[in-house]
Amino acid sequence: MKGKCYIQGMAAISPQQTFEGDLSAQPIVISSSNMLSCVEPDYRAFIPGNSLRRMSRILKMGLTAALKALQDSGIETPGAIVTGTGKGSLQDTERFIKEIRDYNEQALNPTPFIQSTYNAVNGLIALQQKCTQYNNTFVHRGFSFENALLDSMLLLHEGKTDVLAGAFEEITTEHFYIKSRIGQWKSENISNDTLYQHFSPGTISGEGAAFFLLSSTSTNKTYAELAGLKMLYKPSLEKLDTALQTFLKQQGVQPEEIDLVLTGRNADINYERYYHVLDTRLGNIPQLPFKHLCGEYDTAGAFALWLGAQLLKTQQLPVQWFPMLQSPPAKLRNLLIYNNFFGEQHVFMLLKAI
Amino acid sequence: MEELKKKLKVQIIEALNLQDTRPEDILDNAPLFGEGLGLDSIDSLELMVLLERSYQIKVEDPREGRKILQSVQSMAEFIQSKQPA
Repeated sequence: MKGKCYIQGMAAISPQQTFEGDLSAQPIVISSSNMLSCVEPDYRAFIPGNSLRRMSRILKMGLTAALKALQDSGIETPGAIVTGTGKGSLQDTERFIKEIRDYNEQALNPTPFIQSTYNAVNGLIALQQKCTQYNNTFVHRGFSFENALLDSMLLLHEGKTDVLAGAFEEITTEHFYIKSRIGQWKSENISNDTLYQHFSPGTISGEGAAFFLLSSTSTNKTYAELAGLKMLYKPSLEKLDTALQTFLKQQGVQPEEIDLVLTGRNADINYERYYHVLDTRLGNIPQLPFKHLCGEYDTAGAFALWLGAQLLKTQQLPVQWFPMLQSPPAKLRNLLIYNNFFGEQHVFMLLKAI
Repeated sequence: MEELKKKLKVQIIEALNLQDTRPEDILDNAPLFGEGLGLDSIDSLELMVLLERSYQIKVEDPREGRKILQSVQSMAEFIQSKQPA
């Protein structure tokens, strides 16, 4: 893609202290269960009380992260709102379905139904910021956020300005249980800071909301340039390897010019083989995993993008978050993100420092 | 009637998640929508559901609903009028 894409503002609500404060001073938040939950901010600073009372957790998280990203960029009304979510509001969906059963399909409460729709967060952002521009939500499992990003990049290329892109996802006890039945989570209970000492089938679940204000021009506030994005569906190991080489070539970057790789490694031995492709192809480049911080979920790529952009802007690695880090790179210029969602949706993103 | 109004106030607070409101803050004749509690159209649907679930009263005509949901007083009078003598 010819057009440029710069991150001008961003915000993340995650299982770590990512919403405010100095990242380098935040200790890693440790969870002793396999279901990581977000550290939630005080929503009343962002959402009027009368609106807040009706919103479920994911709506509050999504809307607040979006508003903080806008605030961070200094833009009040974006030129477009584009988001991705794999599951939308699970809490509302579960409540609505349960009420259908409990009340025999009669006397159904409208609120959980309205909020269970995937585009509810987008609607709330648009209402609160009085934004009547392009508004779209992508729901494509492990490609949800990446499709939102791709759409945002295309919009910038077409001349749109100030595109708000983001992702939001929640985990509920019910959904955690359902997915445990198909072996997505580890059978043994582990602490997230020791995730990579437990290579076994399954991983730990997570959730989060991350938003980015994207622009085609950079300023002195710019976090990073999103230089490239590539999605691959169920590639073979050979195809993944070829795609990585082609991707870097297309971006005009030699493997040795990559300073750091953020990987979606999640200690699930069922999909570990994909990460070996990186180990082989980029053997000398430092790698850092991020799933011990946010857990696994459809739109975890948004957390990786937030983290990558943060590292490039501050040029500082919060070492307390990465006990596996042996020697931090002296300078961060090019940062590669590779993630896959249970071996199906694979994504490369290239971030460049300004 | 007084007991019914007290109960209704508690149910309204719970159904609409009015976190900073206590039952005694809701005056019997104060308007529920616009001024007063400042409820909106989705709240009116929630209150219809409340009538149906808790009192087995289904309001079919939306124009009738507007009158019924004017205040706690009007809701209580309506519920009482529907209850067997």
